[in-house]
Amino acid sequence: MVTLLATVLIHIARAALLVFGVTVLVFILVRAIPGDAVDVLAIEGGLTESQAEAMRAGLGLTASWLDQFTAWCLGALRGELGESLRFHVPVADLLLQAIPVTLALGAASLATGFVLAVAVALIATLRPRSMVASLVDILNIWSIAIPTFCAGLVAILVFSLWLGWLPVLGNFLVPVIILGLDAAGQIVKPLHEEMKELGTAVYIRTARAKGLHPLKIVVGHILPAAAPVLLAMTGLVAASFIGGALTMEVLFGLPGVGSLAFNAVNGRDYPLIQAVVLFLAVAVILINALTDLAQRLVDPRPEG
Amino acid sequence: MSTHDHEATQSGYPGPGRPAIERETGGRARRLPFSLLFGLAIVALFVIAALFGPMLDGQDPFSQDLLNRNQSPSLAHWAGTDNFGRDVLSRLLYGARLTLIVGVGGVICALIVGAGMSLTALAIGPWLAAAVFGFIDFIRALPGVLLALILIVALGAGLSSVVIALGIAFSPFFAYIARAAWRREMAADYVTAARTLGASRLRILYRHAMPNIGGALITLAAVILPRCIVTESVLSFLGLGVSPDTPTWGRMIADAVPLVERAPHAVLVPVFCLSLLTLALALLGNHVRAAVDPLRAGDPSGRQRW
Amino acid sequence: MAALLDVRDLGIAFPAPNGMVKVVDRVSWRLDAGQTLGIVGESGSGKSLTGLALLRLLPATARLDPASRIRYRDSDLLDLSEADMRSRRGSGLAMIFQEPMASLHPLLTVGRQVVESIRRHTDCSNGEARLKAAALFDEAGLPDPGRIGRRYPHELSGGQQQRVMIAMALAGSPDILVADEPTTALDTTVQAQILDLLRSLQAMRGLAMVFISHDLAVVTSMAHKIMVLRSGQVVESGSTGAVLSAPESAYTQGLVAARRRLGVRTQATVPSRVMEPECALELRDLCVDYPGRGPFAQPVRAVERASLTLSAGRALGLVGESGSGKSTIGKAIVGLARPTSGELTLFGRPLADDGWRLSRSMRRRCQIVLQNPYGALNPRLTIEQALIEPFVTLGLNPPNGRRSRIVAGLEEVGLDAGFLDRFPHQLSGGQRQRVCIARALMSEPGLLICDEIVSALDASIQFQVLDLLNRMRAARGLALLFIGHDLEVIRYIADDIAVMHRGTIVERACADDVLDAPQHPHSRALIAAMPRLDDAAPSEPDDGWRAQHRSA
Repeated sequence: MVTLLATVLIHIARAALLVFGVTVLVFILVRAIPGDAVDVLAIEGGLTESQAEAMRAGLGLTASWLDQFTAWCLGALRGELGESLRFHVPVADLLLQAIPVTLALGAASLATGFVLAVAVALIATLRPRSMVASLVDILNIWSIAIPTFCAGLVAILVFSLWLGWLPVLGNFLVPVIILGLDAAGQIVKPLHEEMKELGTAVYIRTARAKGLHPLKIVVGHILPAAAPVLLAMTGLVAASFIGGALTMEVLFGLPGVGSLAFNAVNGRDYPLIQAVVLFLAVAVILINALTDLAQRLVDPRPEG
Repeated sequence: MSTHDHEATQSGYPGPGRPAIERETGGRARRLPFSLLFGLAIVALFVIAALFGPMLDGQDPFSQDLLNRNQSPSLAHWAGTDNFGRDVLSRLLYGARLTLIVGVGGVICALIVGAGMSLTALAIGPWLAAAVFGFIDFIRALPGVLLALILIVALGAGLSSVVIALGIAFSPFFAYIARAAWRREMAADYVTAARTLGASRLRILYRHAMPNIGGALITLAAVILPRCIVTESVLSFLGLGVSPDTPTWGRMIADAVPLVERAPHAVLVPVFCLSLLTLALALLGNHVRAAVDPLRAGDPSGRQRW
Repeated sequence: MAALLDVRDLGIAFPAPNGMVKVVDRVSWRLDAGQTLGIVGESGSGKSLTGLALLRLLPATARLDPASRIRYRDSDLLDLSEADMRSRRGSGLAMIFQEPMASLHPLLTVGRQVVESIRRHTDCSNGEARLKAAALFDEAGLPDPGRIGRRYPHELSGGQQQRVMIAMALAGSPDILVADEPTTALDTTVQAQILDLLRSLQAMRGLAMVFISHDLAVVTSMAHKIMVLRSGQVVESGSTGAVLSAPESAYTQGLVAARRRLGVRTQATVPSRVMEPECALELRDLCVDYPGRGPFAQPVRAVERASLTLSAGRALGLVGESGSGKSTIGKAIVGLARPTSGELTLFGRPLADDGWRLSRSMRRRCQIVLQNPYGALNPRLTIEQALIEPFVTLGLNPPNGRRSRIVAGLEEVGLDAGFLDRFPHQLSGGQRQRVCIARALMSEPGLLICDEIVSALDASIQFQVLDLLNRMRAARGLALLFIGHDLEVIRYIADDIAVMHRGTIVERACADDVLDAPQHPHSRALIAAMPRLDDAAPSEPDDGWRAQHRSA
């Protein structure tokens, strides 16, 4: 029990270190970007040189990087992520508005992809020569070959502009389907390969020697054995969605974290970039930790 | 790689007590599958286009013709013209060169950064390896597109910064694969045997581990290449790729999107080319994997009959 | 009387690049209720496939000879639909396999796996099935049968896992139990317990059994009748007593002779060339710890205060069951495991002085051959490349050049220059192990550690490798530390024997003393569990079976 607690504590400490490291990394990278938010505003709004300087001082951009960083960290620890340089509202508010959109998009797409991948892999394992079995490769090739933003563009073109079925912007269903197919394609291939390989495992031969029905063997024996791979792939895809949803959000005009990040980077909106990156890093680390935990739950064997 | 190497991995290790006959099932028909030919043909086509396209076509990808903007495909402009009246086909051919350079360059960069760094660290010692992988964990905690986005903004738009950004964004994959392969190799009995013969870690790396790690890395490179190309086009699409007057396919798509109603071909043609190239590369990647790593590739004869 | 199981002209083939390769060729036999048929053969003999064919569990690529017939009760199993065959599996014929760990689903509790089998074959609720499973666990001799079902396979010992497999096989109350090398992966004492269990279950339930093994002694202790397979063909069959006392085919005579010969000491083969033999290896109170799992786990002690001496030209057998720490001692000597305390002296030089690292010159004098010949050679290197390695890594420069030394080394182990360009997968297990021995001998070591080097090999090959080692020992005054679990093998090669149990050396004496008059209870248990050829075979009247099948 003590060792378990210690292990958990070590994991948490590692995660915290990771978050901190990412924050530092991004802080430096962002400051390395030529030009700052005031430059961007200056170009857009025609500020004079002295106005711009005054603005920089007001926003705390003239302080040294270290001071800026300390100030930001202290704020973040109090839960204050600062104010957007461009929109002049607290960054936390912007983030809180955007997170539900991204979460809904990600969760719906991931669920679609997960269900589709499991169903196709199951049927393909059960009936290797059926039409469904070829779906494994079709889905996989689709996910590699058709970039989601290409599929998104074509979908907008066909459904919205030519057929007039859907409103061009703000639509939710099309990105979910596109991302879902993408997720399914990424998950289904490794899952099916694993299940195929497990089909030749000695303990599956034992299950056959018991006289079990093939369906029962595939669902009750092969799928649980493949669960670690399924979870690992789902975790990877989930983590990639955090960034992958970005293009979909921009393309379909969904006001999620991706759109926010895009605007923030383009506008050199430092506090917003910092906050978005902090959120994304925490999300990725959380997803990795959850994947790890789920894998431990399905596989009781000690590591190594 | 010689054919002998091939057979060596193919037969695996028949364990004691297993019937010797299982070794005989390795024989395969030598007929080339359609997907391989298709992939090779498409990739060859694009490579030729990238090398010689601008010469063959004869049109200048940069010359603007404001009287003939957004024209549909015609005899004069096979793939139509864009919003500045530039010939889409010639821009496409020129873009093929850039797209391939960025893709291949990104993979090589990722290979050097990811695999090179991690393998060197692993061969030198576990302490250094821990430090390197700590850093790689940082990189991985950021979504690839976002990381590349920030890096490009920081480095300034341009071909080399895109290549570097892609390389860094994809390097964790190579590092993790290299580490996994290294660990597997270090656990192998023949590495234990080599250690008892006094082989150094470096010698074990290049004599024993490298052939097998190399296979895994080549496979991964083949898988990452299309993803690299796609990511480049995503970045360009977001306006953060190469500079605006360099027509990579992503850039062309991005430029054409606002006018998609008037000139859908200017979007569709590069989208089609991009998908075709990544499809071909993906198919080739599958074959590379089957050739390098036949044990994992799923031999149809190993399927269970139900 | 009709036999329970009547197999006729069973033929199995696999497709190969140039036509079909027959691996089982027209094998016929009968099995009556309550009887045991033993199938003996070396690897590649087709014995396991024969067993799998009974349940129609052959690999998908296997092809059955159309003339094959497997008559069980009133139907031919090969004519049944897959659904009908499924209903026979587990209830008519059940099977247990070689590796119990690999044969149980790693992520499901053992109780669930047995319950599933019960519910497949009997109409009962989950709760009833659990009670029945507990009864089966009890019958299979598992401790705490009421609760052991909640455990996962990795939480059980190898013997317990095989007992679970047996309980699972019994769940459908089968008539016939097919046991494919059920004890090969187990320690000798556990093997004896499992064999006892199978014998008593057979008596209680009137089970008929097909017992497949490579080990003639094990088979004879179980079977009423024996069938000897070689390259897919029956070379001999008959009642156990008859086959043992008067084997007809030369192959069987060889098998029996090899087994009997293994049981004999060959001490006189090694002349003591040196008057005052040098002490090659000395351990004094050596302790080795392995780090525990997890960041805060206690280290696990693998070897506890072990003391040994071995002088040039002598062979010391280090015996113990799996996990006894015997391999760890070997690893510690060659620097693969770091001792925690104690003294380890090689050729008079204490290893602790060098920080437990072997210098290059010490590595030349002290080599190890590992257990698994299939893994110890890099599949991507030719034999020549593999044999050049020691010259490079140990900095050897033989007077006549490396290549001639390599060829000489190959010839020394009974191979020739024709092997130089081959890859390991083109060699048999015995040949690979010879290459490994040749590689270890390239630097002319004075001490050779052999870690279970023959346990992955067939009996006849074991014998050749052991003879080879004995010759080396005689020719070079090599000191041999022979680590193993098979007392018969140890008896064949060792002058002295040390018995290990849970990390400590419990007995150490000259071989004959240990084997004939063991002092420590654990040594006595090990020796009692040793399968012997002269174990009384289950007696059964000769029912003409032998004569009938001779003519077939």
